[in-house]
Amino acid sequence: MNENELNSTSYNRRDFIRGGSMATMMALMGGVDLFAQTNAAAPGGAPKPGIKVKVAVIGLGAWGRDILKTLVRLPIAEVVAICDKYAPSVKKASADAPAAEQVEDYKKILENKEIKAVVISTPTHLHKDLVIEALKAGKHVYCEAPMANTVEDARAIAAAAKDAPHLAFQPGLQLRSDPQRHFLVPFIRSGALGPWVMARAQSNKKQAWRTSSPKPEREKELNWRLESEFSLGLVGELGCQQLDQAAWFLNAKPRAVEGSGNICVWKEDGRDVADTVQATIHYSNGVFLTYSATLGNSFDGDYEVFYGRDSAVMLRGSNAWLFKEVDSPLLGWEVYTKKETFYKETGIVLKAGASKSADQGASGIPEEPFTNTPLSYALGNFLRNAFDIATAADDFKSSFGDDDKEALKDHLMKVRRQPAAGYQEGLLATITAIKAAEAVRTGKRVEIPAELFTV
Amino acid sequence: MKRKTLIAAQIIAALAMTLPLGAAEKLGAKPGSKMRLEGTSNIHDWQVEGKLIGGYLEVDENFPLEPGKEAKPGKVVVKGEIFVPIRSMSSLEKDGRPYSTKMDDIMYEKLLETTNKRITFYPTELVLKEAAKDKTSPYVYDAKGNLAVAGVTNEVSFAVNVVPQGGDDRKIKISGTTSVKMSAFKIEAPAPKIAMGMIKTGDDVKLIFDWVIGPPKKTAQ
Repeated sequence: MNENELNSTSYNRRDFIRGGSMATMMALMGGVDLFAQTNAAAPGGAPKPGIKVKVAVIGLGAWGRDILKTLVRLPIAEVVAICDKYAPSVKKASADAPAAEQVEDYKKILENKEIKAVVISTPTHLHKDLVIEALKAGKHVYCEAPMANTVEDARAIAAAAKDAPHLAFQPGLQLRSDPQRHFLVPFIRSGALGPWVMARAQSNKKQAWRTSSPKPEREKELNWRLESEFSLGLVGELGCQQLDQAAWFLNAKPRAVEGSGNICVWKEDGRDVADTVQATIHYSNGVFLTYSATLGNSFDGDYEVFYGRDSAVMLRGSNAWLFKEVDSPLLGWEVYTKKETFYKETGIVLKAGASKSADQGASGIPEEPFTNTPLSYALGNFLRNAFDIATAADDFKSSFGDDDKEALKDHLMKVRRQPAAGYQEGLLATITAIKAAEAVRTGKRVEIPAELFTV
Repeated sequence: MKRKTLIAAQIIAALAMTLPLGAAEKLGAKPGSKMRLEGTSNIHDWQVEGKLIGGYLEVDENFPLEPGKEAKPGKVVVKGEIFVPIRSMSSLEKDGRPYSTKMDDIMYEKLLETTNKRITFYPTELVLKEAAKDKTSPYVYDAKGNLAVAGVTNEVSFAVNVVPQGGDDRKIKISGTTSVKMSAFKIEAPAPKIAMGMIKTGDDVKLIFDWVIGPPKKTAQ
């Protein structure tokens, strides 16, 4: 994701409606869902057959194994090594990648010249050294989000990524690669909702967030998320994705956060991380997001809502609906689209790639329905970007040699990228998560100086 | 006797084309180049662009290395290899915005990129057509050579404008336009299926290029 896109304010209602003209025509013919037409903004989807990137996964906890399961299903991924310092975890994960080398020392991964990319899914506080060493070793790096649990570490990671333009660096902000979100961003930023009122995000679960192990020292390692020394808690470790999405959709940076948290349910297991939290994030454009999360009650699960004066958009996973106020101006296309009822409200379905009419898109190139998970798109886009950047660097060197580092850097900055978060978005989301966690922990308002977001 | 002289002259000329050039200058590729392909289809025109043109050009003393230099009429003895990495090219909207990664992938596939990673031009002849009128206007040459695309090589010829830029780095910009047929290179015209019928891509493709070259950088003593 380049800075231009991060700061883009070029979307307007007319552009969005023009983009949807074919959808409107198809809707008139038979009544179909709205869909994402332009694939210029959409992720690359299935990579070209024949492209393979040799990749290793470092960190094989529960999330690391989910990543591995997703990677082995991607045609572009060739998982050649899996790594965790805890041998039984490596063995357990090997069931999903039986051909991958099983490694306990990550340095072996970094020394292996055949491995071009690494996915780092260790506990948050262990990311920094791994990322910096991996970039130094010439590996493309996908680092799970949040990138770090301290401002210093987050900035060090971002600086290292900035200094390595010849490598793909992607924080695990998977929603930034989701076609459904890319479909929604122009609409939400177009002003079609009216002036901003507020935003809301929630993540409710009924679970301990604890993993058991027969060995006490291993159990302590596994449950790092329950110790505030290492963990950013619910608002940081879970909420990082939703906080990032809010900044992206609102096209604004956070400037302060207030919060509070309690251990309401899981009081007996010695944790010092709250199991129920609330935070209010104030953005530079005057809008605020209220975030809440609990491990004590699962009612209403996960969702986000963006409220404007005229309409609200609710997202649940990869589904989205538009709810209009009775006095909201008619946009035109919404009359013909699919609608769903929620209690007393009617939501207009906003869904990318949901219809055969997508085959009539501006490019004339058929789009497959967007049915994969955001994680799958994020990892696929990471590997495709890694491949394209490496190819562009090789092409440049074969054309002009490698004396002119600035010209090479300039060339690489122009390489077409699949939608993915970069170090800037990673830094923004991680700083927000760190400051929100601090507000929840202390119960105090925490200011976020703008200079923290630049490296 | 005359016949023997003629044969000898022909042998010398042929050797001149293959042996290292006398008083030759080897010019290498520099950043700042652009290669653009333009084509048609039955739904809209398409365009593809890349910023990398690599390779080298060896020329004799008749080639203008400096602005305003006198150029003798006739042939310039030339040797070289000029290439465009296929993956450095990508599709664009008419206004220059990126178009489609899928379109790029179709293009790479049709150009057999996995086995032929470059489009390469091997120049064989450069004949002065029009000398530069002043220091900023171009020298016009007729260029001839072999163009290799997707594993098929064809002889092509086209006019090029040569503009020496002068200055410390003595860059030279060579620009030109030519048309080729995809079928001449056994490239199957892309025809992706869509629900309402078939997109048919035109056989003719226009190549437009600006190639920037220059002598090697002088190393510090």
